[in-house]
Amino acid sequence: MHNEHIDEHFSNRNIAEMHSDYYLVGIEDYPKTGWDKFKRVVQRSLKGELFVGLWVVLREMIRFDIHTIKYPEEKMPIGPRYRAVHEMKRLWESDAERCIGCGLCEKICISNCIRIDTRLDENSRKEVTEYSINLGRCIFCGYCAEVCPELAITHGSEYENASDQREHFLIFQDMLTPLDTMKAGAQREFEGFGAITPHEEERVKKTPLAY
Amino acid sequence: MEKMIHFTIDGVAVEAQKGETILTVARKNGIYIPTMCYISKTSPCASCRMCVVEASGMDGFVLSCNTPPVEGVEITTSSEALNHERTNIMRLYDVNHPLECGVCDKSGECDLQNKTLEFNVARQNFSAKDQLRPLKKWGLIDYEPSLCIMCEKCVHVCNEVIGDDAIEVQFGGYKSTIIPKGSDVLDCTFCGECIAVCPVGALTSSNFKYSANAWELTRIPATCAHCSAGCPLEYETRHGSINGDKKIYRVKNNFEFSSLCGAGRFGFDFENSAKKDDKAFTNAIEALKNAKAIRFSSMITNEEAHILELLKEKLNIKLFNEDARKFAAFMGSYSSISGKKHYSGSLEGIKKSDAVIVIGSRIATDNPGVRYAITTASKHNGAKVVYAHPLEDVLMQNVVTQMMKYEVGTEEGVMVLLADTLLKNAELTQDERAFFDDLDLGYLHAETNLGDEEFSHMMKSFARVKKATLVLGEDLISHKRSSNIAKLSALIEKYTNFSLVVVPRDVNTLGVSLINSLERDEETLNTVGYNAKGDFVISSIGGGDLDIPSLNQQEGTFVNIDRRVLPTNVALPFHGYTLNDIAKAFGINESETVNYTKELKKDAGFRAVSFDDLENYLGTLGEDNRGYILEDVACKSDGELEELDDMPEFNGTVIYHANPVLQFNAYTNKTTQLPKDDYLRGSAQFAIAAKISDGDLVRVSFGQTTIKRVFKQDADLKGTIALNPVYDLDLDSSRYRFEKSKIERVINE
Repeated sequence: MHNEHIDEHFSNRNIAEMHSDYYLVGIEDYPKTGWDKFKRVVQRSLKGELFVGLWVVLREMIRFDIHTIKYPEEKMPIGPRYRAVHEMKRLWESDAERCIGCGLCEKICISNCIRIDTRLDENSRKEVTEYSINLGRCIFCGYCAEVCPELAITHGSEYENASDQREHFLIFQDMLTPLDTMKAGAQREFEGFGAITPHEEERVKKTPLAY
Repeated sequence: MEKMIHFTIDGVAVEAQKGETILTVARKNGIYIPTMCYISKTSPCASCRMCVVEASGMDGFVLSCNTPPVEGVEITTSSEALNHERTNIMRLYDVNHPLECGVCDKSGECDLQNKTLEFNVARQNFSAKDQLRPLKKWGLIDYEPSLCIMCEKCVHVCNEVIGDDAIEVQFGGYKSTIIPKGSDVLDCTFCGECIAVCPVGALTSSNFKYSANAWELTRIPATCAHCSAGCPLEYETRHGSINGDKKIYRVKNNFEFSSLCGAGRFGFDFENSAKKDDKAFTNAIEALKNAKAIRFSSMITNEEAHILELLKEKLNIKLFNEDARKFAAFMGSYSSISGKKHYSGSLEGIKKSDAVIVIGSRIATDNPGVRYAITTASKHNGAKVVYAHPLEDVLMQNVVTQMMKYEVGTEEGVMVLLADTLLKNAELTQDERAFFDDLDLGYLHAETNLGDEEFSHMMKSFARVKKATLVLGEDLISHKRSSNIAKLSALIEKYTNFSLVVVPRDVNTLGVSLINSLERDEETLNTVGYNAKGDFVISSIGGGDLDIPSLNQQEGTFVNIDRRVLPTNVALPFHGYTLNDIAKAFGINESETVNYTKELKKDAGFRAVSFDDLENYLGTLGEDNRGYILEDVACKSDGELEELDDMPEFNGTVIYHANPVLQFNAYTNKTTQLPKDDYLRGSAQFAIAAKISDGDLVRVSFGQTTIKRVFKQDADLKGTIALNPVYDLDLDSSRYRFEKSKIERVINE
């Protein structure tokens, strides 16, 4: 419910602008002598700074202008270039996997956490039989997504990596866009470098199932 | 010295010998001329036209690959016009070439990819109406016509070097493809050389296809461990699957200059994957303490042979290896006449010969390396090839100019007749001349079934021969009269322009025969078998009492047919014990097996070079820089020719122990890709004589052995000799390969 407000914060980060929400915080010099330090302690104790903070909280509570995000019910929006757990994309026109098994991601991976297994399938095409990313090793550098010639592997926005088993993030099928999402036209496209034209998915024609 | 031709390439003064082309001279002088279809070991295909150059005094361009230079000509290899021409050729190559580099097996090592980038062809300017060109599956080989650029390298190699002549170009302009010659499916020896030379991903190994990429594989230079040709190869390894152990994905070779047979190319997974077993090791030490002898095979490195020799001295036991012992005896008799330890010929020598005589070997399957050398000689020098054997070989029929079909067992007679013919005008010593004068030629002609006219025909065809090679096979080494045969061959080598090649049976028969002092095998109790039969078996195949690393898991050296000491390297790890560990247990302390490389017997011609100093590569012009050639050693020449023995007779159903193509021994039998053809093969005539028919299960008895085989009638065979494979049998490998046999049909089993 507060997302619009936060979005505005995110989008306007230019501190040089006159009407920016950002301002410089005035910071006093640190006390140098022992006497100065003592003075500061006495000042702070008697000034009641504590109540300043408490007053702000009380005021905002009464106003109901609450900025706190109620995680996990609410989440911060993620920038399109954020590199969280990988996703495997499908082709818009045929729903087929985009990955062609070229192995470039495996080769470029600097933490050596990607392994893939390919073979010649019945239709004489290269088929990816196994795809595994060890997220325990992955440093989310994004090289795999950058090198991918097919925009097949991308980084998603799923940053909640807490689980009782690491294996939960390793399987190709889990990373692959589910078919029902695909059918609903709800696959989210990576908007970073080399991305397809925005909203291309709305224009692309589905390949007929039989030739 | 022949007269040199002097000319210039790009202003550099160069010289050429007769027979050299502009391209070969340019390459020799380090001048780059781009090519797509050129391959050094065949005659120029001249299909790509990339190698065009400008020559002074000539209009237009000339093809540098097949044009010999003339005195004083000025060659220009790069100019605006040439570059334009070459770029246009690349544009044409790229017409409709599928843009599937991402999945193509060749990507990363593709000539088309490299040259397209080199000439900066960024777009496909032309197009043609594409057509349906489905993938062709030819067994171990896959052919993808849509990727094919019709460079014709595969056809040239198959015809000129391998000799299978199994594929050809179906001409049809843009529709041209490569097709199997004279049949719908590919019928060949599956050497896979066409895969190796293919500059694009059109011809690929069906097993390797799409399983890994060129850039992921680690290359390990090694030496093929299947036969004594000792071909150079590279094992390419990578982790297997997601978490798999390291494994060999494929074998590659430097196809520009060397060739590889299918066993080398597809038979690479013979490693021993056994785990460390301490108990077995203790048992092995115990067994050796009680042993009277060690019986071993020649499928070992020189270093292992050296350790066995040290163990023999330490434990005071005997060493048995009939294969190497017979070879050593043969070469000993040879030395007693020739006065030197090693024969003079080599594979390179055969390639340069214009006459080759092969005796006593089914050479195409015994040693494909020799076969390819003979094919090269035949196709490039028009060499006359005389093939003397009781059986015709269909694989050799393309190159053999004269077949001498002798009677089984009469090898000694054949050698005498041959020596008599070749030494007719030689200046022999009195004793030697007396030996030939005393011969009863009529008896020999009759017994061997080789007439006088056959030899005179041979001599007539040899009239203009400058360089000739005599190739002696296993049938002569294992023959009862091998000693006299060896002496006769030494005489031929000594007095004629023939150089001699003796074909060792196994990968390191020659090395073992030089390193070990062997004794005649007796069925002693308490024998430890080292890759061989015994009461306690130490085996690199697996299934023995103690496992040791196989030859692709070891570093060490072999001695091949060229008398070259060749290094091989560890492609795959082995986790158990090695022979060196056993030696250490007996107080023979050396940290690594390869520390023995420099210790190898000096009086046999080995040099004191340590393993790490041995190179293993072919130079840019094809110079063989692998290891070193054994030094020749002078020997006492006090041997005399022996009286001829009566020729034995082999009647009835005779079998000949000969392996099918791509099979040599238990190691090739263990590999997954190589076909395991274990039929008893015979002619229709044989079937009648043995009273069996095609497809029958038969019981074959020879000597003390009885085996069961399915009989297959083979239209390519003639006569009453059948071929019996031995790669899957645990036989004494050094026996005379023709044997009288009893063949019965198995009923109700």
